[in-house]
Amino acid sequence: MTYLSFLKSELLAVFYRKQDTINALAFFLIVITLFPLGVNPSADFLEPAAGGIVWCAASLAILLSVESLFKEDFNDGSLEQLIASGLYLPITILIKLVIQWCAVIVPLLLLIPLFSQMLFLPWSIVHVLIFTLLLGSPALFLVGTIGAALTVSLKRGAVLVLLIILPFYLPVIIFATGAISAAQAGQDYSGQLAILGAISLLSLALSPGMSAVSIKASMN
Amino acid sequence: MQSTLTLSVSNLLIERAERLLCKDLSFEIHAGEIVHIVGENGAGKSSLLKVIAGVLSPLEGELFFAGERITAHRDVLQAQLCYLGHLAGVKSSFTVIENLALHFPAATEVQILAALRSVNIEKYATTPAYQLSAGQQKRIGLARLWLTNKKVWLLDEPFTALDTKGVTVLEEKLQQHAELGGMTLLTTHQKLNSTLHARELSLDS
Repeated sequence: MTYLSFLKSELLAVFYRKQDTINALAFFLIVITLFPLGVNPSADFLEPAAGGIVWCAASLAILLSVESLFKEDFNDGSLEQLIASGLYLPITILIKLVIQWCAVIVPLLLLIPLFSQMLFLPWSIVHVLIFTLLLGSPALFLVGTIGAALTVSLKRGAVLVLLIILPFYLPVIIFATGAISAAQAGQDYSGQLAILGAISLLSLALSPGMSAVSIKASMN
Repeated sequence: MQSTLTLSVSNLLIERAERLLCKDLSFEIHAGEIVHIVGENGAGKSSLLKVIAGVLSPLEGELFFAGERITAHRDVLQAQLCYLGHLAGVKSSFTVIENLALHFPAATEVQILAALRSVNIEKYATTPAYQLSAGQQKRIGLARLWLTNKKVWLLDEPFTALDTKGVTVLEEKLQQHAELGGMTLLTTHQKLNSTLHARELSLDS
């Protein structure tokens, strides 16, 4: 096994599990459609709330896709093979994560202009929403991976993952929606974006190593 | 060259689910040997293989390979290791060829097909693994033995779900591996053919 063959097989696995990507997007769409129906469909309410709605839906969609990141590999023995292969585990985890991020976030970003119109978000703000997703979502994936790695050997670990990682999602959501409301109020939002980028970089430095340690601990 | 290829384990202590297994286990395996680990269910046979492969960590004890201490980092061993666990990491959505290409990126399709012919699943080369029977899925993992040039084989129950013909083919492969100077550590509840001259290592206390 080499890094390249691992990358290829992960791409193939994502391709065979296209249903998961579609599920995440469908989930996102459902939240976005139900929210106005349930609360208030008027533009006066939705315009200021749009950033928050999109970000909550995105966080939950990411959580769902990250939670099962290692499940299949654990169940069919691939994870054991990966550990025994001699490849550096943090790098393989990062490869897996980048592919998963592309599979979920890229289609989401392509659909964001459409979704934002459903929530009456002005065109002049859409690019800010896209920036916050680009800078903030890596942090959500990276932190989620630690949770998924910790609970990989548990049969019903989903709730535990939620409890472990949700507190770490809060700053990302707060700064992301903060950037959007600042943009809507015509203020400078570069500070919030910088913090989102910083959180993502910090998680990039910590998450692969911590996930690798957690996976090895879970095998015991 | 061959004389340096020795895997040795000293005073190994493995803990699984708060039970102590393999207390004070020490042994040595040399190139060209086949070692048959025997023991009751739950004696720690699979755990021992996982510890050697680096999937689990031992509680106490040291491991040496080719003269180097590998207790903390298995790199030296893993570069020479072919480990087939109880579940061999066969991805059910992948076709048989795709499953093998992950482990042998340098192998050509001809080589992979030849390996599949040896384990008699050549005609399923492009079939997704989930459509195959348990025995055939087992053979996907075993086909790796025909492609690998690694010297150390750790095989966990390689004979389960195989038919008699499959068992003979695999025994011949093990024999050939031993003759070429490779070492094999395997667990099985089956009686091994006496021509393999397998050394028994008992885990029962």
